Amino acid sequence: MATAVLGHDDRRLVAEASLDFLVVEMVDLMHRSHAGETGETDREAAYFKLENLGYQLGMAMVERITKDRPRFLDNLDVVKFICKDFWIALFKKQIDNLKTNHRGVYVLTDNNFRWFSRMSGDGTSADISRQAFAHLAFPCGLIRGALGNLGVATVVSGEVTTIPHCTFQIKISKP
Amino acid sequence: MSSNSYFVIVGTRDNPLYEADLGQPPPQPQQARVADGGGKKDEHKHLNQFIVHAALDVVEDLMWGTSAMYLKVVDKFNEWYISAYVTASGAKLMLLHDAANTDGIRNFFQDTHELYIKALLNPFTEINSPITSAHFDTKVRALARKWL
Repeated sequence: MATAVLGHDDRRLVAEASLDFLVVEMVDLMHRSHAGETGETDREAAYFKLENLGYQLGMAMVERITKDRPRFLDNLDVVKFICKDFWIALFKKQIDNLKTNHRGVYVLTDNNFRWFSRMSGDGTSADISRQAFAHLAFPCGLIRGALGNLGVATVVSGEVTTIPHCTFQIKISKP
Repeated sequence: MSSNSYFVIVGTRDNPLYEADLGQPPPQPQQARVADGGGKKDEHKHLNQFIVHAALDVVEDLMWGTSAMYLKVVDKFNEWYISAYVTASGAKLMLLHDAANTDGIRNFFQDTHELYIKALLNPFTEINSPITSAHFDTKVRALARKWL
């Protein structure tokens, strides 16, 4: 499967498998680089780094994707854009379900998260949550970066109970 | 005569990310220009920055009312017009000019926006930090010559 490079007229294609490998390896690398002498890995620090990587990337990507479309007038518009255009650009599909409490909390549900489609989990849902926790850092960062650059300060957290179904919770931070 | 146009990219915190004096080259030879226009140019340079800064308020006001990117002429100072173009992330591209050339200016803004995005794609740049690349500068001047 090939992924076209965004925004270029001469569509250069890259094998999607390389993106899959890169994402998985990135998480593994963070853990290895944070492994202490006792053999324990500092999961929080690794999560923080991955999330920040996603943040930078999300900010730059959103600049590119919003180039030709009109600007946004409110927060709901921005979140809807993330669910549609941004998700399509990244994962070639839209978010399957968006729920909000109209007070600054949005829940995005993806029934078949692309980056999890080649992973399998074993054990109970609690085990899967723990294992997939680190793999959600980068996507959460991407969403936070995209929202951040569009002017919405948020905290994004992710949850997964059965691969490949996952949810992202966006909480708008009060200024 | 002071320069014909002055282009600024302003970040989301009202900090200038890039400034360029895009004076059109006059028909006289180089030496004559320096002799008579040199002093005047320096005097007006800081004024350009001041004028654009004052126009920022107007731009802020306008940008929440419309979902368009190109805001056309937002302000006027003596004989100069200020046009603005706002990107989705809140970066403002402002141009101080004296001729009214809407189409050319719109195209200039669109091309500079693309250039700005390309500059941001560099993983080593931070989003709200000044753009110091000489390559970016050359490209902006080439675009100015083309559209303005």
